[in-house]
Amino acid sequence: MSIASSSQPLLTMTMAAAILPQLIIAFGITLALLLVAWKRSQRTIALFTFFILLMALLANISLLSQPVIQVTQLLKVDGYATFAFNLILIAALSVLRMSHCFLKTSLEVHDEYYLLLLLLVLGAGVLVVSDHFASLFLGFELLSISLVGLVGYHRGNQYSVESGFKYLILSATASSFMLLGIAFIYSVVGDMSFNARLSSELFEQGLGLFFQLGLLLFVSGIAFKLSIAPFHFWTPDVYQGAPTSVTFLMATISKIAMFVVLLKCIIAQRYLLLESFQTFLISFAVTSMLLGNIMALKQQNLKRLLAYSSIAHMGYLLIVIIVTSEQSLEFTWQSSLFYLAAYTVANLSIFLVISLIQQHNIRSGNQEDITLLDLKGLFWRAPSYGFLMILGVLSLAGIPLTMGFIGKFYILSQATIANAWWLISILIIGSGIGLAYYLPIIFKVFSNVVITSPEDKKIKSHFIEQTLIYSLITLGLILGILPDMVNQLIRS
Amino acid sequence: MTLTFIMVGLIIAGLLVWQAENLWLGSAKWLSLISLVLLSTVFAVFVLNNSVANEDFVQLQVLTRVAWIKTFSIEYALALDQLSILLISLTLLLAFICVLVSWREIQHHVGFYYFNLLLSIAGIIGVFVAVDVFLFFFFWEVMLLPMTAIIAIWGHEKRQFAALKFFIFTQVSSLLMLVAIIATAYFHLLQTGRLSFYYPDWLLLDIPLEISQYLMLGFFIAFAVKLPSVPLHSWLPDAHTQAPTAGSVLLAGVLLKTGAYGLIRFVIFLFPQASVQFAPVAATLAVISILYGAKMAFAQQDFKRLVAYSSISHMGFVMLALFAFNTIAYQGAIITIVAHGLSSAALFALAGMIYHRIHSRSLTDMGGFWHSAPRMGGFALVFASAAFGLPGLANFIGEFFSLVGVFQVLPAFAIVAAVGLIGSAIYGMVLFQSSFQGEPKHVITDLQLRELLICSSLLLLLIAIGLYPMLLLKFSFGVM
Repeated sequence: MSIASSSQPLLTMTMAAAILPQLIIAFGITLALLLVAWKRSQRTIALFTFFILLMALLANISLLSQPVIQVTQLLKVDGYATFAFNLILIAALSVLRMSHCFLKTSLEVHDEYYLLLLLLVLGAGVLVVSDHFASLFLGFELLSISLVGLVGYHRGNQYSVESGFKYLILSATASSFMLLGIAFIYSVVGDMSFNARLSSELFEQGLGLFFQLGLLLFVSGIAFKLSIAPFHFWTPDVYQGAPTSVTFLMATISKIAMFVVLLKCIIAQRYLLLESFQTFLISFAVTSMLLGNIMALKQQNLKRLLAYSSIAHMGYLLIVIIVTSEQSLEFTWQSSLFYLAAYTVANLSIFLVISLIQQHNIRSGNQEDITLLDLKGLFWRAPSYGFLMILGVLSLAGIPLTMGFIGKFYILSQATIANAWWLISILIIGSGIGLAYYLPIIFKVFSNVVITSPEDKKIKSHFIEQTLIYSLITLGLILGILPDMVNQLIRS
Repeated sequence: MTLTFIMVGLIIAGLLVWQAENLWLGSAKWLSLISLVLLSTVFAVFVLNNSVANEDFVQLQVLTRVAWIKTFSIEYALALDQLSILLISLTLLLAFICVLVSWREIQHHVGFYYFNLLLSIAGIIGVFVAVDVFLFFFFWEVMLLPMTAIIAIWGHEKRQFAALKFFIFTQVSSLLMLVAIIATAYFHLLQTGRLSFYYPDWLLLDIPLEISQYLMLGFFIAFAVKLPSVPLHSWLPDAHTQAPTAGSVLLAGVLLKTGAYGLIRFVIFLFPQASVQFAPVAATLAVISILYGAKMAFAQQDFKRLVAYSSISHMGFVMLALFAFNTIAYQGAIITIVAHGLSSAALFALAGMIYHRIHSRSLTDMGGFWHSAPRMGGFALVFASAAFGLPGLANFIGEFFSLVGVFQVLPAFAIVAAVGLIGSAIYGMVLFQSSFQGEPKHVITDLQLRELLICSSLLLLLIAIGLYPMLLLKFSFGVM
């Protein structure tokens, strides 16, 4: 079935309205290019990007109560995709402020940075609504290529070239793996749409080695992006080498988008009926949970530590996919989206503090890399920073009062219903190990410092950052205590 | 409403205290004392006013019930019965002691310290009143956070390690409990078609033994860590030793009791059959705890570590008595809970007072204090003898009742456990002799007015319960 042969018009107004946020971003990119030709100014382009993202966010929020709309064969907009895109847009908006300071330090005008950011958001936006392997690949490439640009953006940094190259080569390999996998799958199924449901008889007969190989290649491409073990090797280096705001983008936007599309694809195609596929996912999840947590134990560099912790978190999230069944689809979506939301808020808190400390360090002439020692006594030097940091770390560790706990509660509930006791025990062991590196961070934040010169140690911050910090603290606490406010938004 | 008010009041008071200390040095302790007085009065008045209407809180009286997280039909439900009233009173009493013992000890970040103290007390009260099991778990975890902070920030030299160990032990075990909670709630869904975390609903459940034994185990492990019972006890000596005095008082006095409370409410009442089946294992663990704790206490050179190991021994009595399933043993367990709360708090407070004077917790640095501080010595003697169960003091009643009750059901266990009493006499005397008798090594000042107040109030209660146990025995604590 080709697109041209359908009798209906290709794009109706309702369809256009459904993908309005993505259209706004795409239009914004074009305008931004024109803007660069007209006037090059850091301030203008930053404000413009902010405006575009805000418009997209508003358009997207209005879509939350819409019914499911199929937009051509390629895209399908549903409540889950809209919610995920909301998260992505919010993350992108906060990145604007986070990167503001580091971009201000040099004299150049950084139009490219903002353009790449918009492209990244567009890629993620296409991914979350994609309903076809072609659009999946399109979004995947948009996301990867703009991320490559962003990772190596900070040319002056000593790790910039290394991490940029590492990401470029591995990401290109991953996408070619994925493409080959898609081709294999297509060769058996004969349709690239997610909706092309394989009949149950086909599953019973077994789909042959070729199909399974294709599936494995496809999933490993996505697993690379999600940095699931054993496809995680790039993660710590790239996390450390990339500018902090870009690391945050990688940790949130890229993971949300990839996870949502993976879940969508797996649910629609019912791959889980395949025993071997389930085994693969289980082994991925178990290795990620254990390896991520164990490797994080000895890290001194905060961003490397977060890299390993993100591997572990993706392992936890994989549990949701593994235990999902036909009856609990809505619950699966709720769990994973809530977990992703909690993960985003926690990461946002931590990375915001990291970037503010970094900014302070650069101003006082210290090195840029943030180690655990930089956090020493943060709570006494800058209480609001310290508190936000603690809240973020507690959320990652899954302690009550934070969203992370409710996220973990979702995963545990789902695994309990499915009687997945082995996965639960690995999760508990993993979070036990996790505490052994999360808590020392908090202790560092609380530890006593001898303040030599008050001027040097006092951290000053801008009004906007203060509001951002306080609003994040309140948001984190309120949503942690009243998670229903988020739950209500997640529905199809 | 009133209970919520008390908890929120404690949190708000904590925030106020924190800010006030920044503005006016030294105000934090006074303000926390005042807020504790006010809120305790509120609690006492509330309980007295409502006791007639609720038939003396013999049964669990649900006071508040509001929907909280609708997705999982989790409710904010609070209730009181005699057991929780008793434990809350103990908590509030020890809260005063905590504020008083910290009066001079805490020198830096004072405001934040009292904030944490009040916050953990709010959390502990929450644990005792929550009847939605998810809410219970929520408070169970929330009370840990400020407690960990107290150990990690104001503790002694190895504080961070101790705090980490404490937190990981309790956290991992409580994740097991969380899984058991979720499983029970979904079992409720299977059986009645409605998801529920509401404790009174759970009491009506009829869970087959092959499922309930695993569910019970999930709860049991979490509470056995908190109690603590051998082999899950190893966090306790470190945490007690490294915590500041008030931290040790709170840990020994109340936090361990949350474990006992949990055993009563969520293991024995919720899974009666499975508990009976499990009783031999639990009783064995309890007896091992009693003997092991006594043996280890005897071998310690550190004042606080010795008291910490003795706590393991005493909480063994509580667990043994609870798994005997008869009224006498049950009452004995409850009196032991209270008595140990008072006596161990007193001993830790004494340890803090000695540390304040000689800056050491090691028994080798102590000795002959009686010459310079006879009043302190007198109190130390009484508290040590309370700990080894001298008749006339509360601990004796508790242990006696426990053993009598246990003997009717598990005579062999009772006999072996009684040996533990001899052990406790030995370590009690070692403690007293090596610190207060012998050659004077230091000349120390005797008890001040504030310290006298702490010691005499605790002593008074110990004697009152010891001489007139009907004070507690007239309540049934939920057992018919």
